[in-house]
Amino acid sequence: MGIFVDIYDGIMNLLVIFFSTWELAPWVRGILGGLVIGGVFGGALVMVYLERKFLGDIQSRIGPNRVGGRFGVLQLIADAIKLFTKEDIIPAKADKWLFIGAPIVALTSGFLMVVVIPFDLLIIKGNEYAVAVSRMDISILYLEAVSGLAIFATFMAGWGSGSKYALLAGFRNIAKMIGYEVPLGISIISVAVMAHSLDIVEIVEAQSSIWFIIAQPVGFVVFGIALLADVGRIPFDQTEAEEELVAGWATEYSGMRWGLAFFAEYFHAVVGAFVVSLLFLGGWNGLPLIGNLYIPGFIWLIVKTIMVMMVLIWIRGALPRLRIDQVIDVGWKVLIPLALLNLIWSTIIGLMWA
Amino acid sequence: MIDLQIIPFAIISIIMIGSSIMVVKSKEVVHSAFHCIIALMSAAGFYVLLSAQFIAVVQILVYVGAIGVMILFAVMLTNRGPEVE
Repeated sequence: MGIFVDIYDGIMNLLVIFFSTWELAPWVRGILGGLVIGGVFGGALVMVYLERKFLGDIQSRIGPNRVGGRFGVLQLIADAIKLFTKEDIIPAKADKWLFIGAPIVALTSGFLMVVVIPFDLLIIKGNEYAVAVSRMDISILYLEAVSGLAIFATFMAGWGSGSKYALLAGFRNIAKMIGYEVPLGISIISVAVMAHSLDIVEIVEAQSSIWFIIAQPVGFVVFGIALLADVGRIPFDQTEAEEELVAGWATEYSGMRWGLAFFAEYFHAVVGAFVVSLLFLGGWNGLPLIGNLYIPGFIWLIVKTIMVMMVLIWIRGALPRLRIDQVIDVGWKVLIPLALLNLIWSTIIGLMWA
Repeated sequence: MIDLQIIPFAIISIIMIGSSIMVVKSKEVVHSAFHCIIALMSAAGFYVLLSAQFIAVVQILVYVGAIGVMILFAVMLTNRGPEVE
């Protein structure tokens, strides 16, 4: 065990030397940014695969089992080849620039969110180094601001397609998001109030004694539901309700454009899982149950994120879709009062701890 | 020696002025709305250049994320344009 710890520390020391050298820092951060985006892309692929397998289990099916051996691990690659080689159709009635721009905006919003996600905090020789592409004082506010840009993608696709199904889906999405951004923002503010900081790194450090899921369970529930609505998964996927709207806002898309739009959604879900585990599940703080075994912080974070992803898939398998008016009712009449109550609670507790 | 900050400033200025002109020149209301949103976002770029990151993020959160969405929500209730009818 000891040798692994030495190797890990050696690699981390090397990273820190790179980080702290001023001349190299922008390049290293750029490379790290590319790696992180690739990593989250990989995470989204894993999530798609897990979802198909796991949903198959829940519904007593087998799931993908033809390509790449018994477990169908190469199914996604086959799908990607299929999407790349399909014909790319732009409908005659489409608004061309909005139609082309929609998947780009969706993915851009996802990439911008990844920038501030910290993976670990290294303390070497008394100095703190956050393993993140960019460490800001206001990272959680930034995250909320750029995640809001994804609404425009749905609107652009819905309006630009020139199809009534896509338009209805875009309309539903905006109506839903106006309601759900508010409780999402208020529960993020309650976390920031309790941690006395808007920096995600400091929010995670504030959870080293007690995780915020225990300190403010109501906030966790509100944030979880609002996040589900934000990433548009069942039971909040009225924007792509198959039985009512064909495929919702992605109806007119084909080929890799559809692939990008589909992938952006999973990208957002993976980033959302990261945010939940950073804000409420303690981030890279481990459980004390393991004893003396040394587990690096980012492994804790990734394990927690995968568990959140599994819960997302489980919810998708277990719950039916709500009606759009029910969704909006829940958002305005239940979640916002609960979020405000939680804000009061977290302010009181935060002041007591301070 | 010219300060290198002039380059991003020039790019953002061109984007902002161009999109502001397009807000009034566009034939379709939706395009005007989107150009308006682009102009508001480039204002956030100016705040970043002034190293006021907090105001930049709040600009995106409030003007783009909230007001822009409200404008689009209102535009969505209008007709698409003369050629569809």
